Amino acid sequence: MPRLCFSAKPLPNPCPWWLLCVLLGLSALQAHTKDAPTVPQQVSLSANLQSQQLSVSWLGGAVSTFDLIILRTELNETVFYDTVSVGLDEVSGRCQWNWTSVEPLECTSLSVRLRSRDGETASEWSDTQILQGKDLPSNTKSQMYPQDRVVPVGSNTTFCCIVGEGMSFGSIRYKIPVLNVTRLSRRSYASTGTNQGPSITSGTNVLCLNSDDRILTGAVVFVGYPPLPQDLVCETRNLSSAVCQWNRGRETHLYGKRKMTYYKLNARSCTVPIANRQELLECSLDQWVGNWTLLAENPLGQYHLTDSAELSHRVRPVAPASLNPVIHVWNATVQWQWKYKSYDALALLCEVDLSSNWRSTTRTFPGVGLRSVVLLDLHPNEDYTVKVRCGAQQNFWKWGDWSDPVAFRTKMDIPQTLDVWVWMASDNTGRVIWKPLTPRESHGQITGYELTLWSPEENVQHTEMLPHTAYDVPINLTHFSGTGKVIATITAKNGAGMSPPASVVIPLHMTDMEASAVPQAVYTEDGFHLSWQSDANASCGYVVEWHDAFCPVQDCPVEWTKVPSESTNVSIQSGDFQPGVRYNFSLYMCSSDRTEVLQRWQGYMQELVPSSAVPHLLTNQQDPNIELTWGDIPLVSRRGFLLGYHIYLNNGSQLTLLANLSDPNSRSYTVQGLPGGSYKFTVKAYTSAGEGTGATASISLEPYTDWVILEILTAMGTMAVCLVVVTFLCYKKRKWVKKAFYPDIPEPKLAGDWPRTQGPLDVKPSPHSMVHIVEEPEWDSSKEALVIIPEEEEDMGTGDEPADTDEPTSLRYYNQVIDERPIRPRYPDSSDSSTSSLDSGRTDVTYTGIQTSASSLAFHNQPQSSSEPQPNPPLISGGGGGYRPQMQPAAPAQIPALMDPHSQPVPQPGGGASGYQPQCSWRMDSPGEAGESEGLAPCLGSPTSITSTQFLLPDGESEEDAEDKAQGLSSATTWFHNLLSSGKP
Amino acid sequence: MALMAERRTRGTMTGSEPTRTTTGRAAAIAEQLHHECTLLLELFRKKESLPPDLTVADDRLVSVPPSSSQLETRDKVWRLYSALLQCRSLLDRAISREDAELAGGEKGEYEGQRKTVKERLALLLSSIGELLKAVDGTAVLTPDTGGIEIDGPTVLFEVKLWIYRIFKELDYWTKTTMTTLQALPSVTAKEQGRTSRRRRSTRR
Repeated sequence: MPRLCFSAKPLPNPCPWWLLCVLLGLSALQAHTKDAPTVPQQVSLSANLQSQQLSVSWLGGAVSTFDLIILRTELNETVFYDTVSVGLDEVSGRCQWNWTSVEPLECTSLSVRLRSRDGETASEWSDTQILQGKDLPSNTKSQMYPQDRVVPVGSNTTFCCIVGEGMSFGSIRYKIPVLNVTRLSRRSYASTGTNQGPSITSGTNVLCLNSDDRILTGAVVFVGYPPLPQDLVCETRNLSSAVCQWNRGRETHLYGKRKMTYYKLNARSCTVPIANRQELLECSLDQWVGNWTLLAENPLGQYHLTDSAELSHRVRPVAPASLNPVIHVWNATVQWQWKYKSYDALALLCEVDLSSNWRSTTRTFPGVGLRSVVLLDLHPNEDYTVKVRCGAQQNFWKWGDWSDPVAFRTKMDIPQTLDVWVWMASDNTGRVIWKPLTPRESHGQITGYELTLWSPEENVQHTEMLPHTAYDVPINLTHFSGTGKVIATITAKNGAGMSPPASVVIPLHMTDMEASAVPQAVYTEDGFHLSWQSDANASCGYVVEWHDAFCPVQDCPVEWTKVPSESTNVSIQSGDFQPGVRYNFSLYMCSSDRTEVLQRWQGYMQELVPSSAVPHLLTNQQDPNIELTWGDIPLVSRRGFLLGYHIYLNNGSQLTLLANLSDPNSRSYTVQGLPGGSYKFTVKAYTSAGEGTGATASISLEPYTDWVILEILTAMGTMAVCLVVVTFLCYKKRKWVKKAFYPDIPEPKLAGDWPRTQGPLDVKPSPHSMVHIVEEPEWDSSKEALVIIPEEEEDMGTGDEPADTDEPTSLRYYNQVIDERPIRPRYPDSSDSSTSSLDSGRTDVTYTGIQTSASSLAFHNQPQSSSEPQPNPPLISGGGGGYRPQMQPAAPAQIPALMDPHSQPVPQPGGGASGYQPQCSWRMDSPGEAGESEGLAPCLGSPTSITSTQFLLPDGESEEDAEDKAQGLSSATTWFHNLLSSGKP
Repeated sequence: MALMAERRTRGTMTGSEPTRTTTGRAAAIAEQLHHECTLLLELFRKKESLPPDLTVADDRLVSVPPSSSQLETRDKVWRLYSALLQCRSLLDRAISREDAELAGGEKGEYEGQRKTVKERLALLLSSIGELLKAVDGTAVLTPDTGGIEIDGPTVLFEVKLWIYRIFKELDYWTKTTMTTLQALPSVTAKEQGRTSRRRRSTRR
């Protein structure tokens, strides 16, 4: 509740009248005051520019309510107008009211007036008080407010830009975006950055630009968070002071000496570097107080953290100092110093980190005021690095810091006993081999070896000194008689002395066993597992030796392992095992007087497919089969135990499996049942890993010649028998043959009783030959002649005759009177044959369509086989049978003459075509015409049908004619044909 | 503009081969530094989100005697040396102010470039110092830079602009140094010619 600005004090000891008068007076005065409150007096303004707060104070009289108005002076804009209730400051006796401006108070001048209010009654306004802004004309420079303000993330900040006199305002940019602008005065403009995000370390720039986007002025605002440290923990290192640490916590985004976070621990300032960005901060106090308060403060706020603890619960020792190792062969003592005397009575637990060859072990040692520890179980001549840290044994808090590491090397010792073995390459030669000692086994740099071979029975001893680089040495036992055992003993030397001797009784040389007789050793992930029967004589255990089965004898890297006598199995593992390599394993029994082999194995770590093909693959034809043979794949190339062979027929693009030979000792295979031809065969060996590359061989399989010869001979014999039979039959039937093939030719006879009426004479030739037509004895050679009607003309007339048939065509002869006039050559319209026929015969018998069944097709196929004679009749050669027109010999030289339409056909006396013989016995009916054809006299009048047996048979003279002999075969064919046609034997 | 108290002994400019080599080396360093200054300016502008065409007050921060074609070569080099020394003082102050008030211990590209420029400027000054020593024959005395405005403003935005002006100033003077030194050998040769002619005429 607001109090009055001033209070009335009661007067002491009044008389009733006075009192009454005073009360009345006061009452009157109060009534007067109620009517018009007093105007506020002595109004004054004060501004807090950082907080943008304006304070108005005045003497306000009796009322507690005032009307207050704030205007921007230049533009007379009201910024604030309200009625406020104001209390009285008892100290100053003035009324005061605070107002926070949105804009910085420097932006422009503000005018303030107020009046007292009492209910509905108000006093006069007070005099105007002006808070001067920075935009006065006297201040001509461009300015921006607020400057270097620090505000929390998410807040809003209003900036104002006072443009320099004579300059033009453009915009206000917050980083890059342009803000909305409010004009505050003639030169002052304001914008508000809202919901501001964290700044970069150098703050966020707010720029005031002119109309040309050039910078007039600017400001930087830092937007961040108040501090929020975490995890304050205090501890002691010296058992008296406190060291407190805490985490910086949330990023404040406020840097620089004006904005960074400052820390105070128990009201004592902690020095933190300005640019320190470490997360863990530290501050120390000289005394352990048990309770600590950390105050973190920046311009945006502060934060408190507290911690409390007893000293004994927060001991974290410092690092041990001045580590000093005292070194021995198998142990060392490490000593150190403490920085604080107070540690002498402190129960400590120290941790020693011992590193050797990149291997680290940790050992712990308790003790009060611990200053040294003994490190046991070290190895001679080995480098170690040691470091120590400690913690409080009671109420353990944390390990202290590690000391600086210290390196040392233990002293040397004599080497360990060597692991020695003897590998015999023959009865008298071999190698003594031993495993090199590791640095941990040698106990110092090995300087050399000493080898002694001695025979207790023969009392012969041979000693040899070997360099430190030797790990095997060849031996020759010819110095010994061989009757007793020979023992090899070897020792190693270093700077500390000689190792204990290692001895082995030299075993006898064992010849290689047949590979197939050696059992196979199976490799598992544990190695080759070998087991055997216990041997009671193996007093000093067993030795399992192995090596590459194909390594050279003289330089074979041999490995071995020794097995205690109570064991009867072992798993052999070695980093040297390679896939596809066969290893031989030998088990030796060891006793004091002999070493002998008990068992052998062979095995592959991993079987692979053979690396080479089967060698010497050969093919051999063994009628009618093919035998394939091949050789042994070299052992080194097998890369696994061979399981057999696959036989393929190779056709070039694919392999066809013929056989799977599961016997790895197979060396041949016979392929059966293949017909003749070329074949390729591929043979592939296979192991458990699969088949290797195959070898391919080819063969050309010849037919079985014996059978061929037999067949030929059989055929020839059969033919010979047939010939003999035919010859015999021909001889027996020679008369018939003579009659059949060379019958006497009767004289042709022509009956003169041919009808002269014109009309067709249908003659049906014999289905076999038309020769019968001319055999008719009634045939007359007078001028009555038969004219064959061209088939096509008949076809046109009847139209029911087939154009092409195997049946002999009916011949239609026109019995007509031949024109008496000399016959003109019809050439070129007539064919040669026709012309020849006319010219040669003059018989008035014209054949134009005589044909046999065989020749009919040939004639019908000619496109011009119509009523017109054929200009180029087909030249029929050979005994095709049928009709052969009288024609000129078809000598090639005469063909052009035939083609010449103007040339006269020249008869060729001796040019009878094959199959045709002119009937030279014919006589000329017309002497006159005969004269014109003297040259042709012997042959004139001959019909031209080659089917006419009678006409074509040669007479006795012609048989003797040499030229006619050439026609013999043709004639014989004709006769034979006739014979067949007649069906008579 | 504060005048520099320059105390030096004037010697005779000799165009020996080592001088020419030293000049070329200094010119190469100036060229490299100019390139690095340009990059530093760009990095600063980007870091502060300042407009690309940011212009600052034209008044120079470095005060040296005005340039003139009448100046002898050694005076030109001395003028450059003096300006670069002032630049180094300004740069040191700028880096110190920036680290104290505007930085948070970052080791970014800008900070790296700023370090490079600072070291390169020291190298350039050393190289020009050798050049002056070669041409003057006396030890180089450090010019007095006490008169320059080196503290800078107090308002942080003004501090940023001040740093930018220092970088611009350094950029300007490295460019001037590069140009002047590159032109120096020919000038040296001419001066040698003039000197020898003057000597010949004196003998007459």
